[in-house]
Amino acid sequence: MPDGLLRNTLLIAKREYLERVRSRVFRITTLLVPLAMGGLALLGGLSGRKLEGVQNLAILSNDAELAQQVKVALYDGTFAPKLVEVYAPAGSADLAQVRGQVASHQIGGYLTVETVQGEAEPEVTWISGASINLVGKAQMESAVRSALIRKQLAARGVPEDEVSGLMKEVQLDTKQLKNGAVVKSDSERSFLGAYVLILVLYASVLIYGINVARSVVEEKTSRIFEVLLSTASSDSLMLGKLLGVGAVGLTQMGIWVGLVVFYAGSAMAATQGIHGLGSLGITRAELGFFGIFFVGGFFLYSALAAALGSSVSGEQEVQQFSFILISPLVVSVVLLPYVLGNPNSTGAVILSLLPPFTPIIMYMRICTQMPPAWQVWLSVALLAAAVWGMVWLAARIYRVGVLMYGKRATLPEMLRWLRYS
Amino acid sequence: MEALVELDNVSKSYEEKAAVHDLSLKIEAGSMFGLLGPNGAGKTSTIRMMIGITLPDAGKVTLFGKPFGNAALKRVGYLPEERGLYKKMKVIDQLVFLAELRGLGALEAKRRAKQWCEKLQIADSIDKKTEELSKGMQQKIQFIATLLHDPELIIMDEPFSGLDPVNAMLLQDTLLELKKNGNAVLFSTHRMDQVEKLCDSICLINRGEAVLAGGMREVKSRYERNRVIVQFEGNDAFLQHPAIAESKSYAGHAEIKLKPHADAQDLLKTAAATAIITKFELVEPSLEEIFIETVGGRADA
Repeated sequence: MPDGLLRNTLLIAKREYLERVRSRVFRITTLLVPLAMGGLALLGGLSGRKLEGVQNLAILSNDAELAQQVKVALYDGTFAPKLVEVYAPAGSADLAQVRGQVASHQIGGYLTVETVQGEAEPEVTWISGASINLVGKAQMESAVRSALIRKQLAARGVPEDEVSGLMKEVQLDTKQLKNGAVVKSDSERSFLGAYVLILVLYASVLIYGINVARSVVEEKTSRIFEVLLSTASSDSLMLGKLLGVGAVGLTQMGIWVGLVVFYAGSAMAATQGIHGLGSLGITRAELGFFGIFFVGGFFLYSALAAALGSSVSGEQEVQQFSFILISPLVVSVVLLPYVLGNPNSTGAVILSLLPPFTPIIMYMRICTQMPPAWQVWLSVALLAAAVWGMVWLAARIYRVGVLMYGKRATLPEMLRWLRYS
Repeated sequence: MEALVELDNVSKSYEEKAAVHDLSLKIEAGSMFGLLGPNGAGKTSTIRMMIGITLPDAGKVTLFGKPFGNAALKRVGYLPEERGLYKKMKVIDQLVFLAELRGLGALEAKRRAKQWCEKLQIADSIDKKTEELSKGMQQKIQFIATLLHDPELIIMDEPFSGLDPVNAMLLQDTLLELKKNGNAVLFSTHRMDQVEKLCDSICLINRGEAVLAGGMREVKSRYERNRVIVQFEGNDAFLQHPAIAESKSYAGHAEIKLKPHADAQDLLKTAAATAIITKFELVEPSLEEIFIETVGGRADA
């Protein structure tokens, strides 16, 4: 390392860190984000509870037998209702009464099942009080379908209890061959792990990556950077900035993680079936890789933000490029289902080795099925190299920025400037 | 005496425009050097090459007797023309940070920062955020930041712009004191009156080329004492004297430029014969006049 590079880098990191941690913004976000998250979790809980079938309904039919079978099938289904009232054969007075009950929210809706002479399929309509309830629709469809089969079976002389036995739902146990051993399938967990990484990475790139860009732009617009460049190299300026802002991010995350761990170990969580982090099903190796890919991804994207920040002339333009910044993350998210389905396909392997996609795609692959070690370490090495290259580029662009006044450089211009500086 | 900075036939161009062309200059310890020139002449480009912010396309830059290297920058204090500070940072933190970057320890930096703030009469603002200060105060802080690490070579790009006369004087006195202590000072300006009072040597550049360079006395001695200021009562007919190249006459006050090698004594005799002369002064051309004469109508701005 050239003389003074390390010392200057640390000095710059220290300044960046202290100025940010002391700021009011830091205190506010540290406090507000967990509150907002808690609010979101609460909302999620509420809307999760909505994922249930229709509780009370009526069946109107001209076929009493079929209507009875639908009722039995509804009670046997995944989303069993509390009360099913059958009107068969139903008259217009029944219809008016049922409509009144829907209007006054006494029942969720009513199902009309009309068998037509000479047709095998009945005409079925579900009239609901709510606009759309996907669960309700599925609930009715499967009930009518199984009622029809029940009726056919009964017509062929199969006894009632045998029919019920045949129509029972199958319990499917999913297991997975992972790293040579059959384990309980954790595709949901792999998904969850990757999504947590995406969320955390996304949030920190948006918060801290943009912070790096802002800090670069601030130095450019206040033009203190010419003073800085007259003593420190642009490499140490960029590196120091990334480390400083990164440390701020880690501090804030540390506080939040501390809160989560505290919560997970608390009595309140125990009532919800959570006993420490282990019960969330995260292994130590996965946690380790999470750390590696989070840090790598964070530095890559922050360095990209720094490079973008160095190439613009004002604060407003920072907003415009935040899309460029997060687009590789968005692409990763779009490609996740493909990688989850084919974790060892050529496409997935190549994607996981491309540095902008590595953090999420490789982490996803590790969570589903451990890729060969060389692929994992190659991706980490490539990621590290990409971070270094991006810091180098950002430092060059920053340096050249001294010579530019009040305009954004075009790409060919930047390349020319690189030579001049 | 050993030169602290030496530019040797340095050239630099941006895009198609040549900013500096084949420029050579030398600054010695314990001297005050003025880099002069109209706007856009290449002063800032020249300075930036001295401290490695940009590299010359051709020619050689020597700093403290060695080819340019980053280590030498700790011995230089540089105040750019467009200078800034961290707006949200406290004055003292800012000064300490900038001094630490130049190799000072935190404690020593703090001690010196306090000393300097006292000296430049801004000790009250030491715990304020920079954005709360007036522009002139911020300029003083930038000035202090440049000098905290006691650099042997002080380079200031347009240091006086935007300062009121009182503060400009304070800055001038400080620079003179530093020079007396053996530091070399280079500053660029387009204000000739300051240069004339302060500088030991100058380099006047126009369109990237040195058009006039050397010690102040020596430069001036190249020009004749051919300016005459006359104060008189009565007839101004003496202004028709053949020795006069051009003249401006105000009420009782005339500024005269003589023809080359003209006899000023004869002019005085003629004037005294027709008018009452209260003052007759033979002066050397001011640097401003030399500047205008040299750059002439060729200046861009």
